[in-house]
Amino acid sequence: MTITTGPDTDLVQAALEQVWESMLYAVAEPVPSTAGALANGLEATITVSGAWNGELRLFCDAGAASQMAATMLGAPADEEMPELDVHDAVGEILNVVGGSVKGALEGESRLGLPQVRPATSLPDPADCVAVSWRGAPVYVQIVSLPA
Amino acid sequence: MSIGADAFGFVRDHVRAESAIVLETGKEYLVESRLLPLARQTGHDSVDTFVAELRRTRNPALMRQVVEALTTNETSFFRDSDPFVALRQDVLPTLAKERPGRSLRVWAAACSSGQEPYSIAMTTRDTPEVAGWKIDIVATDLSEEVLAKARKGEYSQLEVNRGLPVTTLVKHFQRSGINWRINPDLAAMVQFRQLNLMRPFGPVGRFDVVFLRNVLIYFDLATKRDILRRVRQVMAPDGYLFLGAAEMTMGVDDAWERVPAGRSSVYRIREDQRSCVR
Amino acid sequence: MRALIVDDSRAMRRIVGRILTERGFETAEAADGQEAIAVLESMDDLPAVACIDWNMPVMDGLELVTAIRARPEWRDITLMMVTTESEQDRIVRALAAGAHEYLIKPFTPDALVEKLDLLGLVPTPGGVA
Ligand SMILES: C[S@@+](CC[C@H](N)C(=O)[O-])C[C@H]1O[C@@H](n2cnc3c(N)ncnc32)[C@H](O)[C@@H]1O
Repeated sequence: MTITTGPDTDLVQAALEQVWESMLYAVAEPVPSTAGALANGLEATITVSGAWNGELRLFCDAGAASQMAATMLGAPADEEMPELDVHDAVGEILNVVGGSVKGALEGESRLGLPQVRPATSLPDPADCVAVSWRGAPVYVQIVSLPA
Repeated sequence: MSIGADAFGFVRDHVRAESAIVLETGKEYLVESRLLPLARQTGHDSVDTFVAELRRTRNPALMRQVVEALTTNETSFFRDSDPFVALRQDVLPTLAKERPGRSLRVWAAACSSGQEPYSIAMTTRDTPEVAGWKIDIVATDLSEEVLAKARKGEYSQLEVNRGLPVTTLVKHFQRSGINWRINPDLAAMVQFRQLNLMRPFGPVGRFDVVFLRNVLIYFDLATKRDILRRVRQVMAPDGYLFLGAAEMTMGVDDAWERVPAGRSSVYRIREDQRSCVR
Repeated sequence: MRALIVDDSRAMRRIVGRILTERGFETAEAADGQEAIAVLESMDDLPAVACIDWNMPVMDGLELVTAIRARPEWRDITLMMVTTESEQDRIVRALAAGAHEYLIKPFTPDALVEKLDLLGLVPTPGGVA
């Protein structure tokens, strides 16, 4: 049996850079990831199953998420975005990151559909990639799960 | 945080002298945003203080990096598509009849990160008239940074999405982690080296086809004329020159004539000028 | 010229829709394969092109391509996958099922326009569909 290694932080960082450049018109500058609380945050999750089994989880502040959605949809940055649009946009960002990451893994894997919900705490910084979006950190955590 | 007129003037003159690229007034923002990463790397928090130090020290490595940061490397696979159609349908089939030795040499001058020479390589593979021929593509650029990327032959998803029909992508590239890498048989056709078009070309040999696209636009008239004249000297008399969509030889170097090819046009050395290059 | 955009993400439908509208297309949308079939069945004027995501609930993009290809009356619709599925064998599978082009997410707006140009899908300004 071959054990497929999961995605590493470099791979996730590279995927984030392409998404930031093309969907958010920004540069995904790495920022130090810190543990702690998210006062008013969002968590998006997408599963990968097959050769590697696990999840990618994206965490960010709800205000930053709203601005990301506005940028993606071509709305003015300060426009208040409906929650439905914000959740959908953040889910799609993670979906595209997840697809790029999955495509770079050895072997066959399948991608699930993104789920988005409110979050109040940040993940363990050890297995996280953190990039900045207009000064606000956006975290993506790599979680290996049993098959 | 806008770049001062003094600093802009110094950068403009230096870039002009080294690359002949003209940075008109109004391009301050471009200069600022391209130089800011370089300024930060060297411990400055503004482009102005970085340029002030550069004026004092004239550090050659940094002076060179300034030029590289400001030469726009914008390119894509099969850029503008028509020239590559003309290459496949007109230029290569015509040359195929004229070259009993079954070999061709192509020059991609100012090749940026390699999309242009690799597009030429893919095009020759799709041209039955030159199937099995020995085709050498020499690809040159001023910037070592873009050449390093070109040699690696690895492109991001964003880059392969542009201009490449998907059947061409799956035929000529392999996934390499998150990127796509050009297949070795195509990579072997292209030889990359550094060459400044402003300086003598050196012993480059003679070319049947020259791509000199989207680079003359950066030069002033005298420089354009000089480059076009020297390109003539390294071209086969019956060779073909491709320019960018916004570029032409008319009024610059009239030893060339423009001939229609498919939906675009190519340039050839005029009949009466060919003897002197023989 | 009409275009159908099939994607479960409303954000992505809007991004693709905006690029196509600017290019002169009239657009219709569906959130999964089954809805796309219903939209096509209700249309008098069929779209020239359908941009189809792969991973969607209810009916995915590959099944949709197969279903569209099975209907002779829909054979003139150009099918372009617009998806984050990016493995070589997935692309080959989509082409084998009948997709004509394939755009990998993420993409820049230029890339979508260039793909449409490659397919010869250029609406004439003020022209009829
Ligand atoms: C806009 S790109 C064009 C790339 C490609 N020919 C195309 O059409 O897509 C211009 C390229 O010209 C190069 N360049 C600028 N000045 C040059 C010079 N003096 N000699 C050689 N290359 C130069 C730049 O480094 C850059 O890669």
